[in-house]
Amino acid sequence: MNKSANLSISTLLIGAVVTVAVVVAAVAVWAIRPHGELGSGLPGTFGYSVEEFTDVPAEWLRWREGSSIPVDLAQPRAVAVGANDAVYVAGDRAVVSFHPDGELLDRIQLDAEPRRLAITGEDHARPGLMYVVFDRHVEVYRSDGTRDASWPALEQRAALTGIALGGDDVFLADAGRRVVLRCDLDGNVVGEIGRRDEQRGIFGFVIPSPYFDVALGADGLLRVVNPGRHRIEYYTQDGYFEQPLVWGRPGVAIEGFCGCCNPASIALLPDGRTVTSEKGIPRVKVYTEQGDLHSVVAGPADLAPDAAALVETRTDYRLRPPMVAVDSRARVLVLDPALGAVRVFEEME
Amino acid sequence: MSNSRTTGSRLDRRAFLGDVVRGAGVVGLGGGAAALAAAKGQGRELVWQIDPHACTACGNCATYCVLGESAVKCVHSYGMCGYCELCTGFFEAEPLALDTGAENQLCPTGAILREFIEDPYYEYHIDESLCIGCGKCVKGCSAFGNASLYLQVMHDRCENCNECAIAVACPSEAFRRVPADRPYLLKHQDHDA
Repeated sequence: MNKSANLSISTLLIGAVVTVAVVVAAVAVWAIRPHGELGSGLPGTFGYSVEEFTDVPAEWLRWREGSSIPVDLAQPRAVAVGANDAVYVAGDRAVVSFHPDGELLDRIQLDAEPRRLAITGEDHARPGLMYVVFDRHVEVYRSDGTRDASWPALEQRAALTGIALGGDDVFLADAGRRVVLRCDLDGNVVGEIGRRDEQRGIFGFVIPSPYFDVALGADGLLRVVNPGRHRIEYYTQDGYFEQPLVWGRPGVAIEGFCGCCNPASIALLPDGRTVTSEKGIPRVKVYTEQGDLHSVVAGPADLAPDAAALVETRTDYRLRPPMVAVDSRARVLVLDPALGAVRVFEEME
Repeated sequence: MSNSRTTGSRLDRRAFLGDVVRGAGVVGLGGGAAALAAAKGQGRELVWQIDPHACTACGNCATYCVLGESAVKCVHSYGMCGYCELCTGFFEAEPLALDTGAENQLCPTGAILREFIEDPYYEYHIDESLCIGCGKCVKGCSAFGNASLYLQVMHDRCENCNECAIAVACPSEAFRRVPADRPYLLKHQDHDA
């Protein structure tokens, strides 16, 4: 009897030990996940997110998307508007043009990767010329797609990132040398604008990343982005700095320009308002001539529906900033690289 | 049925010798190739490293290393840096002021040092002794800037485990074996417009 009782106690003990061992092993296997699927386990203060800054207050949203033109380019880089509001998109060593209703008109193959482009208007001495900006030089194309001219390459440090067309001048934003070049119609550099010159009150352009844009207003003044200072600066075509007209400030709030350096590109509406696009938190906004925020054309919800993509570290997954242009009907064209389309926004009444 | 090489099911002597010579040749060639491959690989020690172009700065590097303080640290590609006054790897997304106040700094351990160069440029340095490899600054720099901050395994600390615990836990499979004589995968000024 005693022997039987001892046996059952020892059996129970062994069973209990085995059960505990199995439970501990199971918990250990569950808790110790070597494959990292539970995350780092670091406190929230080590996390990084910009989601709280991506909401756009409804009162600013005064534009609606009227149409969208799909662009069959892997890396579309620039958008411009030509005669009759034809839409031109540069990228993948090509320029493709579309009728405003989206019909493909033409495709011009290029020898190198284009950065920006601009088309002369009907009021220009030679309407319909297309200026394609490459890293260090400019090529000019006729409306039939044939090349009219190839300007000499600029020096090695040049990195052209913006263009504005005047009557007898072409203005090139050179991010590499942090100046705007004034060129004649033959491509000769006839002046430099914005080079640091404290005697003249010019403190220079701060360009941390290769986004540096320029636009020419109907008033004859150049609007030049100073991205590192988060502002738009005004210059005469002779290079005089119109300091009182400067506007813009840093900030992730909707009124400011976010991150280290913005805006990435600008365009001017016929009434003088400025359209800006930002990288980091992608958003396209409209500012009055005095520099007050007027409205938001498209916010992060439109341009980056996956907010996690905003802090993507992998270069191949990072969003390229939207690029902007304006047509004769005061519509804003947004080149959305994530969508691979030119999205046309109309202002609501 | 006739067969020039065989008589019935038996090989003749010449065919047999030919097969032996061919077989020896194949074995010799294979052995030689294997010996050459072994000689080439011999002495080429491999170590773990993070491919910065595959890293997502998930934070696992900070906690999965077998060391108490991770061997992974943030490094800086100065050639890519914009020397920004408002560095988004250094500052919170909406800093109260552009100064070194703790409340304005992004790094939870204060491992980034900010040094004035000339108006409006600043240089940023990593204090390795404070960095835990969490990658928060990497995300801030990538989200808005040139992505000049990135993570690397520091080989003065790494134990070079046979099976690296962080490599196992890396969700983006960014860990690679690289030659010990070239143990770092450095970013260069390869960002484009």
